Amino acid sequence: METEAAGDGGGFTGVVSKRSRRKRRAAAGTAMDTAEPRPSKRPAFPPVAAEALGVGKGEIRKVPVPANRYTPLKENWMKIYTPIVEHLQLQIRFNLKTRNVEIKTCQETKDLSALTKAADFVKAFILGFQVEDALALIRLDDLFLESFEVTDVKPLKGDHLSRAIGRIAGKGGKTKFTIENVTRTRIVLADAKIHILGSFQNIKMARTAICNLILGSPPSKVYGNIRAVASRAAERF
Amino acid sequence: AGGKMAAVKGLETCLRVAGAAAARPERFLSVQDGLSSDFRALTKTLYDLNKALGSNIVRGGPLKELVIENFDEEQIWQQLELQNNEVLDFFKKSIARDAKDEGLCLLSDQEENDSDAETSSDQEFEDNIMDAETEQKNTKDKTKAKEKQSKLKESIMQKCSDEDSDLDFDIEALEKSIVDDKFFKLAEMEAFLEHAEKENREEEDDINYFEDIISDDEEEESEGATVKVRISDMNEMMVENMRSKEASKKVTFSLPDDSETEDITDTQLEKGSDPSEIKSSFEKRQEKMSKKIKSLEDELLKEKPWQLKGEVTGQKRPENSLLEETVLFDHAVRMAPVITEETTFQLEDIIKQRILDEAWDDVVPKEKPKEDAFEYKKRITLDAEKSKLSLAEIYEQEYMKLHQQKTEEEENPEHKEIQEMMDSLFQKLDALCNFHFIPKPPVPEVKIVSNLPAVSMEEVAPVAVSDAALLAPEEIKEKNKAGDVKTDAEKTPTDKKRERRKKKLRKRMKLREKEKRQKLLEKMKPEQGTKLNKKAAAAALKRLTKEGKVSLLKDEGKDKVLKSSQAFFSQLQDQVKMQIKDASKLKKKQKKQTATSVHKLKL
Repeated sequence: METEAAGDGGGFTGVVSKRSRRKRRAAAGTAMDTAEPRPSKRPAFPPVAAEALGVGKGEIRKVPVPANRYTPLKENWMKIYTPIVEHLQLQIRFNLKTRNVEIKTCQETKDLSALTKAADFVKAFILGFQVEDALALIRLDDLFLESFEVTDVKPLKGDHLSRAIGRIAGKGGKTKFTIENVTRTRIVLADAKIHILGSFQNIKMARTAICNLILGSPPSKVYGNIRAVASRAAERF
Repeated sequence: AGGKMAAVKGLETCLRVAGAAAARPERFLSVQDGLSSDFRALTKTLYDLNKALGSNIVRGGPLKELVIENFDEEQIWQQLELQNNEVLDFFKKSIARDAKDEGLCLLSDQEENDSDAETSSDQEFEDNIMDAETEQKNTKDKTKAKEKQSKLKESIMQKCSDEDSDLDFDIEALEKSIVDDKFFKLAEMEAFLEHAEKENREEEDDINYFEDIISDDEEEESEGATVKVRISDMNEMMVENMRSKEASKKVTFSLPDDSETEDITDTQLEKGSDPSEIKSSFEKRQEKMSKKIKSLEDELLKEKPWQLKGEVTGQKRPENSLLEETVLFDHAVRMAPVITEETTFQLEDIIKQRILDEAWDDVVPKEKPKEDAFEYKKRITLDAEKSKLSLAEIYEQEYMKLHQQKTEEEENPEHKEIQEMMDSLFQKLDALCNFHFIPKPPVPEVKIVSNLPAVSMEEVAPVAVSDAALLAPEEIKEKNKAGDVKTDAEKTPTDKKRERRKKKLRKRMKLREKEKRQKLLEKMKPEQGTKLNKKAAAAALKRLTKEGKVSLLKDEGKDKVLKSSQAFFSQLQDQVKMQIKDASKLKKKQKKQTATSVHKLKL
């Protein structure tokens, strides 16, 4: 909308658009600010400088590496290293004596949450996720990691436990992949431990599906259920 | 002399009338119109008489005679008042003068009063006092009034003198104080109080132990007491009267004051209670409280009123007593709203507003969305393989999709607009060019959904999945509108009949369709039509039977064989079996015969 000049078109009173009025008021407000302190509702603090929080000093996060992930770490080191150092501006190293991956902030680090993200990323990889999947943790803010055990859902022992794990996995992993595809999550099935990576709602869906499988529903039924839930979720958006 | 005679006569008549009226006072309980007119006439004669007699000493009112025709009581009274006020002033002055006059002797004419019984003198006393209190009527001559006034004084003094001669009441009686009024003389009151106190003191002192307690004495004493009571009652009344008048003039006193004065008189009246010492305020309060408590206790002991008696039937309470009571009870149901003009106006306002807003509350028919199983399956695809894209890429794609949709919507409207405009233009041109009006082409309502990959059109469910598990029962078979499906055992006769009707209807429709088709076929293609005709079939049958290739079984209804094919074929089978059996038997027999001949032939 453009402002019409007053007295436009012979006898018409010009209507001032709301946007310009707001701009004018804002301008007047800033002018007023310099003149006297405005009685504001909330105190206005300037953004904190990175140095003030002690980022520059160098916080360290340590992620332990179990023996079975040692080789995969070695193989994927460059893929892990690159995004952390180049995109997040952090320092990373693998301490051979303590078998920890150590991440440290330095002067170049601009973002404060970078350290947490990097730590989560490395942890996800160590748990068993693929590097590309774990990379989503860096790129998206609202992804989470959930872990639980099969015995948390139902106390199973011996053969029953094995059968439950087998149900979750399916033949050639197809049940697990189906759940992953429908709910848009990533699942790691490590013997009796289950790790899920994804957004909050999706984690809930996947968890429900896996719990149903543990409790004994046939996979076809579980497919039907997650399909229904996923379609409802998709409809909403 | 004549005037005097007339005056005397007039007075006599007045006396007579008044005496007659007083003789039967019970008549005054009801309104007596005749008597009232008599009294009015009486009043008039007396007034006129008074005026006629005239007097040198006092002038009186301006009216020469009293007018009573068509005047009501108030007006007559006001006329009298005019006269009386004048006279009263004069009387007051004269009495004051006489009271001050020391030469007047007040003790004369006492024997008369002495001789009378005390009660009668009391009566007179009372009467006098009554007269003094009310407005003096002009019926009394001024002299008479004067006499009466002096008598009044004398009687009071006499009372005091009879009982106690110590008091020097002359001075006291004649003293005038500020409080003195028409009805009240402070000196009188003081005198009376002192006298009463003395009496009490005397009683205490003079308890005669040896006095015979005879009933007569008691009567006398009680009489005396009653007399005293009556006097004191009178005084009390006067005092109270005065007090009340004072109260009306000034600010009302708080309650204790009145009760205190009452207490004084009460306690002095009662013989049994505390002696003459003046009580402290605390004691007085205590007494009052105890009296209150006693009254409350009496109330509690008395029988309760019907309101407090619990369940009361109609017989136990007075008639229509409930009407005077306000009864509270709970309403179980909310009362219906009272319809007043305001409520209707409010309603109308709401209706008008709704009409202006076009906010109708019409019922919108609900439609059940029917989804094909196919559609339902297409909505979500189940991929059983590891996804080629990583999680990050999946989310990336989603994000892009979201943002791309927005741009699409923005572009399309422009295209749509252009398309619409062109359509309308060409249509108008067509209409102008052609002579025949071509109606608007129907707008296609079919919307093409966004394209899916061709792969998704095929069945993508995992191999091990069956349809039964994938689809819900409703998707497989539509649910019956009635609800459950009934077996034959559950069906009611109406259900069965309904089904039969439906079946017959369906058959009828099918038959009609068939016939129609046949007719059409005959018309269009005669050769094909006749092939399947009924007539053609009958003709063919006849031919065949005639030729002898086919034999027609007659259906009489007795033969079970023709009723069903099963029966027919089972009979056929039986026949054939029998034939075979017979044939085999024959063979066996023949065989047997040959066997014996061979035996015979053996040598």
